Amino acid sequence: MIIAGMGLVSARGRGVAALEQALEQGWVPPVGVEVKGLASGSLPVYVIPAETLSDKVVLAKARRADRFTRMAVLAASDALQDSGLGATVDKSRLGIIVATALGPHATTFSFLDGILDFGDAAVSPTAFSHSVHNAAASYIAMTLEVRGPTLTVTHFHFAFHQALEIARSWLDQGRCDAVLVGTVDELGSVMHHVCGRMTKPAPDGRIKPFAFSATPETVPGEGSAFFLMTRDPAGAAYGCIKPVGGAVPDSVAALQLLDADGLAKDESVYRAAVIPGMPVSGYAPLFGGLLTGSAFEVAVAALMLKRQRRFASPVRDNPHSIPILNETVTAPLSAVLCTKLDCSGRKATILLGRSAT
Amino acid sequence: MAVEKVLITGMGVVSAAGMNVAETLAGFSSGTRNISKTTPSLSPLDYPVFQVSAPLCDPGRFTSRTIHLAFHALNEALADAGLSQDLSGLRVGVCMGTTVASQLNDMDFYTAYRKTGEPPMEPVMAFLKSNLAEAVACRVKAKGPCITVVNACSSSADAIGVALGWIRSGQCDLVIAGGGDELSRIPICGFSSLSVFSHEPCRPYDRDRQGLNLGEGAGIVILEPESAARRRGSRASLFVGGYDAACDAHHLTAPRPDGSGLEAAIRGSLAGAGIGPQEVGFVNAHGTATRDNDKVEGGVLARVFGAGIKVLSTKGFTGHTLGAAGALEAAFTALALREGWIPASAGFENQDEDIPIGAVRERTAVSARYAVSTSLAFGGNNASLVIGCES
Repeated sequence: MIIAGMGLVSARGRGVAALEQALEQGWVPPVGVEVKGLASGSLPVYVIPAETLSDKVVLAKARRADRFTRMAVLAASDALQDSGLGATVDKSRLGIIVATALGPHATTFSFLDGILDFGDAAVSPTAFSHSVHNAAASYIAMTLEVRGPTLTVTHFHFAFHQALEIARSWLDQGRCDAVLVGTVDELGSVMHHVCGRMTKPAPDGRIKPFAFSATPETVPGEGSAFFLMTRDPAGAAYGCIKPVGGAVPDSVAALQLLDADGLAKDESVYRAAVIPGMPVSGYAPLFGGLLTGSAFEVAVAALMLKRQRRFASPVRDNPHSIPILNETVTAPLSAVLCTKLDCSGRKATILLGRSAT
Repeated sequence: MAVEKVLITGMGVVSAAGMNVAETLAGFSSGTRNISKTTPSLSPLDYPVFQVSAPLCDPGRFTSRTIHLAFHALNEALADAGLSQDLSGLRVGVCMGTTVASQLNDMDFYTAYRKTGEPPMEPVMAFLKSNLAEAVACRVKAKGPCITVVNACSSSADAIGVALGWIRSGQCDLVIAGGGDELSRIPICGFSSLSVFSHEPCRPYDRDRQGLNLGEGAGIVILEPESAARRRGSRASLFVGGYDAACDAHHLTAPRPDGSGLEAAIRGSLAGAGIGPQEVGFVNAHGTATRDNDKVEGGVLARVFGAGIKVLSTKGFTGHTLGAAGALEAAFTALALREGWIPASAGFENQDEDIPIGAVRERTAVSARYAVSTSLAFGGNNASLVIGCES
């Protein structure tokens, strides 16, 4: 399955160029938001500035859409544009798969505000229709005039991994010529509160992917990452995603990315997942912790394969002395294995290769 | 190379129409409509609803009513398939559809958050353990692919479509697919705000239809490749022949007026099954009883199948069960093929001159090998399943 294009929106900006700039620049401190009900009174977070989500051209058909949907529409639209296939792909054979863990919860809470403030009979129909999980996919379809299959899926740990495999089956079975597959999850005031109480905020603002801590610290993040997938090797701008269960790559020319973002209650399980002898990195400190953050790791992996450049780990605390990337270097890279574990040790991997073969 | 048949080796249903397959068929046959009213504990708004009132099976540690409904249907489906509740020895996938259960919309939690700023976290923790597909996978110890589809009202039809893809790609020996949704204050408020509710029992496809009634329930099918199913002794005759979906790219809540998205989905599912429209004996339509849905859908069905196609909507027996609707209706379609009859389309009396087809007014014999179940959804999703039955 070929990655022909990518689009991203995160606290570090919009687009592949912003991603590359973030990777070159490295870690930057999060912002603090006031959170009511927390003893500390504030929480470090990576939030997307409003100006990043303002694009009157791309969002012309999504003027009433909420932040969740705007993130997804921008990332999906950018992925299609980045692929260069926007003008040629048959929109009736272009699919959309949106993976999310929590959906547009800020709009859900806004709808609940309507019930509590104005009563059950006087709520906003717009808030209701936008609180449905698949509103973002609908807006992507309307914006890009996509008429193929459209699917929104949810899972608290592996939504993106499952979405990728569904995209692969759509391509393999000939249902689509191309699939826009991606993730979106947002932060809002209620989620700030939930994260503040259910996770351990990083006091120094740094997620530490290689600490393998039994009580990990995190900085919540938000964003959307989309990929335009095809089967056409000619479109392999960023390499490919290998089938699940593929052989572990040669350790010399490969790299392992750990999607350890501090959201799980216990990340000590990552220690055993490190492949001996293979360089390791992890980029959650750039974007923050989010349940669908694996998509950002895959975006980094895809960019590294394209550039043949290994970007330094943004946070390099390394108490277990594993072979992490301490500096950014240009060097041959044939494969990247992205590894995600949940707190019970269930593992999902995504293997990217430079070539489709 | 011929595509291997994907059999429906087990089915389980629970809705206001019945707590299981046998009760549902009896209710369909008698034309019984178990409609009730919203209760104060559910919603202060006064509307007819189709509620499941009988006790459900033991849900174990889960507190979500949607999961309770799904487990109830799961138990029946597993028993029907001759399977145990421990499927850890097989490559089992789970794909479930829902709407309400996917949202963190606990009113008590949110009210406390607004009032005190320090709400109890138990509802959040319960929510984070209540992904519907994960719950089902946990129940049967499934270790294969697992995902919850949240495609609004086509969710569980799409879940069956995803499951079909998993089996055809060789990822799974068996897939549990379906959906569930509970009656909840949130969609009652929401659909009320959209002015799509009827204050009377719904009348799908009827000239005088006034809108939909909400319902609750769950439907689950067990899908297996024919060779594997036969090896373990299954004598199932029902199968999923085809599935397709297409997006309207038109509006968040209204169907595309020309119905071209639905038409593409239906024609794609027929092509996937390798059949023509003339081989379809009847259509179990989405048929919500809203003005827009039935008009657009009816026009498409007439265009694809001809005005003489037998059409029914089972929402007159179940209400609109949202994320459960597609799977329940797929199961009802399969049952009708197996039993050789479709029930009267409850609530349909008068032909609408704006719709070129009408629904069946009485229990009607069918002898076809194939039938179609359609689903339309918020977001412009259109899904179509072709169900088959070996004679």
